[in-house]
Amino acid sequence: MDGQRLTMMGNQAITQGALEAGVRVAAGYPGTPSSEIIQNLAGAADEHGLYVEWSINEKVSLEVAAAASFAGLRSLCAMKQNGVNVASDFLLHLAGSGIRAGMVLVHCDDPGALSSVNEGESRHFARMLELPQLEPSDFQEAKDMTKWAFELSEEIGNVVMLRSVTRLSHASGGVVPGPIPQAQGKAHFDHHGTLLDKGHGPVSSSPVAYKHRLQQEKLARAVELFEDSPFNSYTGPEAPELLVITSSICNLYVKEALVLLDATDRVGVLKLGTTWPLPPKLLQRNLERCGQVLVVEEVIPFLEENVKIAAAEMAGEIGAKRFFGKRDGTIPAQGELNPDIVLGALAGILNLPYQTRPPQYDLLAQEAAPQATQDRDLAFCPGCPHRASFWSLKGALALDARDGFICGDIGCYSLAMRPTGYGMLKTLLAMGSGAGIASGFGQLGRFGMDQPVMAVSGDSTFYHAVIPALINAVHQKSPMSLVVLDNSGTAMTGFQPHPGTEANALGQPVPPVDIEAICRSLGAEVTVCDPFDLEATQAAALALLADQSTAKVLILRQLCALSPQRKGSKLYEVQVDPEKCLGDQCGCNRLCTRVFGCPGLAWEKQSGKARIDEVICAGCGVCASVCPQGAIIKSERA
Amino acid sequence: MINRGPRQLLAEVQQPGLCIGCGSCVELCPYFRSHGGKTVMLHDCDLPEGRCHAWCPKTELDLEGLAQELWGAPYSAQGMGPHLAVVAAKAGPRLEAGRYQAGGTVSALVCAALEQGLVQGAILTGGRGMDTAPALATTPEEVMACSGSKFTAAPTLAALNRAQAQGCGPVLVVATPCQATALAQRWAKPWPSRGAAGPAELVIGLFCNWSLDPQGLTGFLAQRVELESIRSMDIPPPPAGVLRVETTEGSLEIPFDEIRDLIPPACAMCPDMTSEWADLSVGMYEGRPGWNTLVVRNEKARALTEAAVEAGWLVVEEFPKANKEHLVHAAQGKRSRGLGAALAQSLLGVSGEDQPKALRVSPELYRAVESGEVA
Repeated sequence: MDGQRLTMMGNQAITQGALEAGVRVAAGYPGTPSSEIIQNLAGAADEHGLYVEWSINEKVSLEVAAAASFAGLRSLCAMKQNGVNVASDFLLHLAGSGIRAGMVLVHCDDPGALSSVNEGESRHFARMLELPQLEPSDFQEAKDMTKWAFELSEEIGNVVMLRSVTRLSHASGGVVPGPIPQAQGKAHFDHHGTLLDKGHGPVSSSPVAYKHRLQQEKLARAVELFEDSPFNSYTGPEAPELLVITSSICNLYVKEALVLLDATDRVGVLKLGTTWPLPPKLLQRNLERCGQVLVVEEVIPFLEENVKIAAAEMAGEIGAKRFFGKRDGTIPAQGELNPDIVLGALAGILNLPYQTRPPQYDLLAQEAAPQATQDRDLAFCPGCPHRASFWSLKGALALDARDGFICGDIGCYSLAMRPTGYGMLKTLLAMGSGAGIASGFGQLGRFGMDQPVMAVSGDSTFYHAVIPALINAVHQKSPMSLVVLDNSGTAMTGFQPHPGTEANALGQPVPPVDIEAICRSLGAEVTVCDPFDLEATQAAALALLADQSTAKVLILRQLCALSPQRKGSKLYEVQVDPEKCLGDQCGCNRLCTRVFGCPGLAWEKQSGKARIDEVICAGCGVCASVCPQGAIIKSERA
Repeated sequence: MINRGPRQLLAEVQQPGLCIGCGSCVELCPYFRSHGGKTVMLHDCDLPEGRCHAWCPKTELDLEGLAQELWGAPYSAQGMGPHLAVVAAKAGPRLEAGRYQAGGTVSALVCAALEQGLVQGAILTGGRGMDTAPALATTPEEVMACSGSKFTAAPTLAALNRAQAQGCGPVLVVATPCQATALAQRWAKPWPSRGAAGPAELVIGLFCNWSLDPQGLTGFLAQRVELESIRSMDIPPPPAGVLRVETTEGSLEIPFDEIRDLIPPACAMCPDMTSEWADLSVGMYEGRPGWNTLVVRNEKARALTEAAVEAGWLVVEEFPKANKEHLVHAAQGKRSRGLGAALAQSLLGVSGEDQPKALRVSPELYRAVESGEVA
């Protein structure tokens, strides 16, 4: 495979770089667009002698990876942008203490929030916590830079942050892989030295003043290396009209835009791979080229602000510059970039005629869409247990009739904020925050609030961040109900194992940690129900709402319809009996298709009756309990 | 005949707080359900017309139209409704003593109707204390298990809908005035195309001046007694002016003034004290403990009453003229207060107008209410 150019997904390239660097331990928590990195490393674990785990959350994964580094093994930790927030408290202290063997934190941002409920920027952590930041701009670089990040980490004795974005992590491009070294070296933690002995003493960020100075010296050393790094490059004429400074996948957008505008001889591009701290000499050399600078980047104007600070500091040498970027609106402040947006920005500055998407395009698209496509919102899969769960929770809250509501959380079930989950979620913020917010709402009865409050959590989210919130609710006697939607895996990101599963990331058997037992041990009352049993689930939820004395837990346990354990099998054969279905004569007003809304059900215009689409139907049989006429027949599969 | 759909039902009845929870719209379809005394809509339904709206006693109740159709007479300011006789009644020797409240007349009539084969079952309101629930009774034992007064409206008609859907055959309903009114709507606005739900074979109505909001009363009592300890509730004859709650720990008397706020607004607008749309009506006999007032309204009711006496279920005596005058006066008072309250809230209209109204009367009666002549 060596020397041959292969097509790799960005996350695969990062994996390859880590393997070429001789990574021994990797840990992370699933989150789009980062998940394939740990998944791929787990796949390579046997062959290359790695330990890889899906940790309970990002903070613990960083701690697991740090331990390996302390014991002399190169380690990698991967997470999505907001995962860095979760890990950041540990990261602050780790940055202060420093590490031993090379350690890389790969954090994948999701500009435009394609698979997120935030458009978080994680590069700020590098500046805030004083760590070096790398940003690969294509697939080869993703591999090469990851490998080099380990060397840099060891050179300076600190964690190195490497940022990818969705369009790098999930797109594919050419990569020439290198050799993967044989695993070697015994893990051993040397702790007999003094506190000041960074190679042999106890690991701590204290004494703080001393360690902080050390940390800043490490950063200064990184800057020295960045001055000559091949990951920073200038392309273009010696004295361009405009200097574009960019990083990450935006570099490809800029390249494409300049070719399309035929402006490569007018515009120079400084592509930065080492984006924090910025190397001042390199920057000065390039800023001296011209008087106009456009910074092209996604999410927050991180690069732009840092370039401006550097330009101000060297104003005596380079003079005043005219800056374009996010801060003056040349580049949009939110959402993903694409070549068209960059084209528009460049054409504007260069005064070139270029029609980006015509203004009436969006209007025309809106008009054309309903004719060409189904009018369809994001929806739970056919046979999804969440649909059944929210159907029953909706019924229970309606019957309770006190304007109760549900605090949502992060997972597939976040979709319950939309029509597919009957719009049942009324708050949706961070991992674990549904239970925490519900714990707070529960205390507001003393101020006259008479609405009952529920929280939902997936099983993986339960372990990740709900447990402290639940302990809080139990201890503070907050009358909230937590509903754990246990579909037995981290479904949304691709069925990664979690502490409740019987196998770990490597497929080895591990003891599952039982959610029910945890809740009971906290003193919470626990009910367990199968959400496919609508009647029992609604009754259980109503009972929770009726008892407002304490924190309670309802576990709704049913395998995800797509779960590998289900292996695509149907529980039931489901059919509509056309004799029993009364169609629009029923008075049910198409309850099954109009309200319940499983994609496996269709309303047949010709017959004016409901029909099961057996290709789509997952065979959960829940709709048989929804039909008031008993016209939907489910039969056990032979 | 004006008919609208579930969204209008919500707007006209639920949202203004006029729903009394009679259960008429419950379980006719998958949308309306009853829980804890409240009728709720589980999912949005946009049908333009429905039985839920047509049969509701609290919207588009065309009193004049109903009276013309069911009584063949105009709806007047006279508060008692049509009747053949008013008698004093109590349970006869065949009914086990000590199991019923006041005179036991209702239980006696139900047992007689079942024995006569007039009906195959009776929809009653069972349960104890705060925990009321409608039930289908087919034997005297089941009837007796439901005896005793309740002071919160129960979704009794939901049990009728359920029983009819299961093909129960002819049944009687023991109904409050609002429930009897809902059943009268079913005679006037039949809807056979959507299944078996419809009117009842026989309606035994109860006298009622007002009821108490179930959730409100539950909350109120929960602060004073253990809810599980409540055995029964009773309103002793005037001038007591209290609700008496019997618990396993003893009895508690709650002055009316303390519970007045728990009376649903729908009760204030109700013009019917004696369940005038029923076949027979039964109420308290003021000043004669152990006896009831029984209003016999039509020939079917008269036949049942005579058969019940004959079979030893019921004992009747003459009802003194002075008491009847008092009863008529009380019913008249409720009528004028109810129509007046509806008028004050712009919810009183005349038959044939388009604007949604809760109650409709003849133009003559409307003018009389407006001018204060009815009061």
